[in-house]
Amino acid sequence: MKLIHPIAFIATLIGLLFCLANPAHATQAHGAPEGLFVHQLSHLFFIFAMGILIYWLRSRALVRETGWRNIQYAALFFILWSLDAFFVHLLDEQFFLVHVTRTGPWQMQLETPEGMAWLGGVYYLLKLDHLLCVPGLIFLYKGLCRLSPPETAAEETEKGAR
Amino acid sequence: MTVYALPIQLVDMAGSLVMIIFSLLCIRQALGLGRRHPDNIVWTYLLWLSTCLGIFAVSRSGGHILKQFFLMAESGHMWQALQPYSGSLNTLLLIVAAAVTLFFNRSWQSYQQIVTDKQALQTAHAEVLDLNETLEKRVQERTDALLQHEKQMAHADRLASIGQLSAGIAHEINNPLGIIQGYTQLLLRGETADTQRHEDLSTILKHAKNCKAIVEDLLNFARRSKPTAEVVNIHEVIDDALIFLEHRSKTPDIQIDKQYQADIPSLRIDEKKIKQVLINLVMNAKHAVGEKGRIAIYTAYDADAGQVLIRVKDSGYGIEPKHLKRIFDPFFTTKPTGEGTGLGLAVSYGIVKSHGGDIEVNSTPGSGTEFRVLLPANGFHYGT
Repeated sequence: MKLIHPIAFIATLIGLLFCLANPAHATQAHGAPEGLFVHQLSHLFFIFAMGILIYWLRSRALVRETGWRNIQYAALFFILWSLDAFFVHLLDEQFFLVHVTRTGPWQMQLETPEGMAWLGGVYYLLKLDHLLCVPGLIFLYKGLCRLSPPETAAEETEKGAR
Repeated sequence: MTVYALPIQLVDMAGSLVMIIFSLLCIRQALGLGRRHPDNIVWTYLLWLSTCLGIFAVSRSGGHILKQFFLMAESGHMWQALQPYSGSLNTLLLIVAAAVTLFFNRSWQSYQQIVTDKQALQTAHAEVLDLNETLEKRVQERTDALLQHEKQMAHADRLASIGQLSAGIAHEINNPLGIIQGYTQLLLRGETADTQRHEDLSTILKHAKNCKAIVEDLLNFARRSKPTAEVVNIHEVIDDALIFLEHRSKTPDIQIDKQYQADIPSLRIDEKKIKQVLINLVMNAKHAVGEKGRIAIYTAYDADAGQVLIRVKDSGYGIEPKHLKRIFDPFFTTKPTGEGTGLGLAVSYGIVKSHGGDIEVNSTPGSGTEFRVLLPANGFHYGT
């Protein structure tokens, strides 16, 4: 013979939980590092998405077409750029391994931990990230151009008729 | 470590500017693609990607340019105020660009499915249109074929009835004819030659033999006499028939062309009877051609149907349509009285049918006649 119905038992437990628990804030606080973490995660997510795009383009043999091949190159440059940006953020904002101070209009001071001066050079090169994202965009543009062949006479006529 | 800031600043400024320009060009190009093919979801993906990257480029690169200006103007605090908004937007756009990219494969599959379905629909539509357009013509063709088939069936039925009747009569006449022939021969033995009585008995015997030949032909037509199976080369049978005809009637101005297919198998047929058919057909062709003309004999083997085809074609005038349907009737002839019994084609019909084959005629007045004899390649079938 059942002493108590299971639903009534669960309801009682939930009721006790609400009555006996300490006061809780309804929303969670989002401190300063969270923005940086989200940004870093967005870079990783973007790298993953571009990687999988390359995989799909190749597995479907779309890269045989010049347009999609250029888009593949664009995705590759975006991956490299995103990695570059990720490491720059890692060095100067997350691990604080490189500290930058402007010492004049055309000069800046790169401070690195002792014995890791080479990190300054790496950081300097990584800061030139436009050398990666600009080719990526150029390849994307070229790819889009190749994917849209010139309009045929029939299409032009149709457009004119609209 | 002190370094020159100029390369970084230059690359940053110029790169930012180029990024903005190319990202906007990408959006323009993707918009063009979408406008031209609005039903292609893959272009929608590219538009989303380009738009995200475009806004990202404007936000990030614009921010970088402003940053450089603010730093050079020693107003870093202004950049500090602006930076969170620009950074947040950049993060958001990177996430959106990545998220829409994850749907690329699904978009591609959907579009391919749409294209496949569209093609199938177009094919089906074209087929339906074609069917609609040709339906009337097809119905007419089928109706014509059916009518033709019915006519052939009716003709075959009529010939079968005539054959049955002829066979009955022939059988009844055959015995008395044999007796007449036998007694005439007996009487002839006792008569001296050159007497009137001998001459009269000879006339009776001659006509009794003629009657016997006709009765034999009627039995052949009625397919009462079973063929004897022999394995023969049909080309040799045709050549024998032609040699026989050449000896019988010299017709130097009639050209006979033979086109034999090389790989025809040997046939199990009654050689004498099939030779008789061929002689009948070639004789008829010679009569149709007259003094000068051309007769062509072709053979062909249809392995799929298991049939050998013999075509006898002449360059004569042809047969009037009204005569065509009676051409295989016994005693039907277009020749003057006394020149033909009208049993040749009827007998041929009976022989071919008794071999399990078929005989057809095509003729157009003015362009000659063609007889087509079809024989089974694997032997004949009695009683068909």
